[in-house]
Amino acid sequence: MNSELASARRIIRLGFALTAIALIAVAGVYVRALMYTPIEVRQGAAQKIFYVHAPAAWAALMAFSVVGIVSALYLWLKDPRLDLFAASSAEVGLAFSVVMLTTGPIWGKPVWGTWWTWDARLTLTLMIFLLFLGYLTLRAALSDPSERARFSAVVGILGLVLVPFIHLSVYLFRTLHPAPILLKPSKPSLPDSMLATLLYALATFTLLYIGFVTTRYGLARAVAAQSGREGTDA
Amino acid sequence: MASWIRLAWLIAAKDLRVELRSKTALLSSLVFAALVLVVFNFARDASLVSSTVLAPSVLWITIAFAAVIALNRAFNLERENASMSGLLLAPISRGVIYVGKFLANLAFVAAVELVTLPLFVLFFNVDIWDSLGGLLGVMALASIGFVAVGTIFSAMVVKTRFAELMLPVLLLPFMVPPLIGAVQVTTRLLSGRPLSEMLGWLRLLAVYDVVFVTLCVMVFPALVDE
Amino acid sequence: MPSTPDNAGYMIAAYVITVVVYVGYTISLWRRARLLLRSEDD
Repeated sequence: MNSELASARRIIRLGFALTAIALIAVAGVYVRALMYTPIEVRQGAAQKIFYVHAPAAWAALMAFSVVGIVSALYLWLKDPRLDLFAASSAEVGLAFSVVMLTTGPIWGKPVWGTWWTWDARLTLTLMIFLLFLGYLTLRAALSDPSERARFSAVVGILGLVLVPFIHLSVYLFRTLHPAPILLKPSKPSLPDSMLATLLYALATFTLLYIGFVTTRYGLARAVAAQSGREGTDA
Repeated sequence: MASWIRLAWLIAAKDLRVELRSKTALLSSLVFAALVLVVFNFARDASLVSSTVLAPSVLWITIAFAAVIALNRAFNLERENASMSGLLLAPISRGVIYVGKFLANLAFVAAVELVTLPLFVLFFNVDIWDSLGGLLGVMALASIGFVAVGTIFSAMVVKTRFAELMLPVLLLPFMVPPLIGAVQVTTRLLSGRPLSEMLGWLRLLAVYDVVFVTLCVMVFPALVDE
Repeated sequence: MPSTPDNAGYMIAAYVITVVVYVGYTISLWRRARLLLRSEDD
């Protein structure tokens, strides 16, 4: 049991180290975005919110996919560490979702004149937030560890399969968001300096996600190690 | 092949018989549906918003809420009777048990819908005779989708303390695609639009149903087995 | 040529919220880790 706790400690330390590096990189992104990236002429300074909003959305979606995939792995392999990892990704994903859901409307208001539109992307961000919330609330409401792991795994899997359907149904309904500017086959519509800032931000937030999840996972392992030793539930 | 269908029907029939004796789930949903329809009728200004524009949304909001109430009650009945543990001891495939539960819930929700529809015609003065077949069809398609997921979730939340609160929270995102599709199709049906305008939505509903019923059958064993 | 809108306030709000959430979450993790691991050393 002691070695289990020792592993957990190592993971936590690694997690904090990665998080620290990522936070410093985030500061770098801030400097670059705010001072060294040009202001977009038509949208004004508010357009720069894009550099924190889009990577947060990317990280939230990544976190969500991880929850779904690792949940499926858990139901297949039954390793409780997979469950702990999925739960960690969900909590981290919730944090990124909060950033995504707050910066989205703050960007929308000055640029499109409205706080909220029920278009494909914003609706998806709201649904992902609700799914994370539901997942974590369900976990909190179940005391039996086996039930907690199995039930939340089911929610994770169902949630991941749901995402394309939500996107499709809302997209079919209507779209207000600008067309994806990175995925055009020829040249992206963003000028190079803005593209570089965006990519730098994406990489940084990905690292932050990895740092957060590692730390949270280490914490979960430590809790499990402790309760294992004492023979009680954490 | 036929024997598992028979088993599923038996399980469904048992649930339905229990419900018919107490009638609580059905009655609460019906009262709720009537209430919502009445409120909406008084809440709108008839000169500003025509009923043809508002009606499909109101119909589906009513169905959605009433369905959640019905789903909640269905599994609470289960808990009160503790019959699931008996079922699990029998050598029945878990998938069959799920299908049985799913069919029972679908029957509840269908009953609620079939009573809501005439009330809806009454309060909103909509003419549905020409589109009745299509309406029933889209009601079936959409209901299958969220009842499939709702059956799984109600089985889960019944183990928590805040079941009545948790079910809507978990289920809401899963109701979005079926509801959007249903409202879109219903709107076009009531306006007499051609079938070609609805095909995309109907396809979406159908795919949603197939995917989620299959998925739910596959994950149900994880809910009841260790 | 329409002038560039002056909406830097929104940008600042968004950037502040973002960093508050991330730093806040980091602090939450740190405090939980300390609580957990300190009790271990007793």
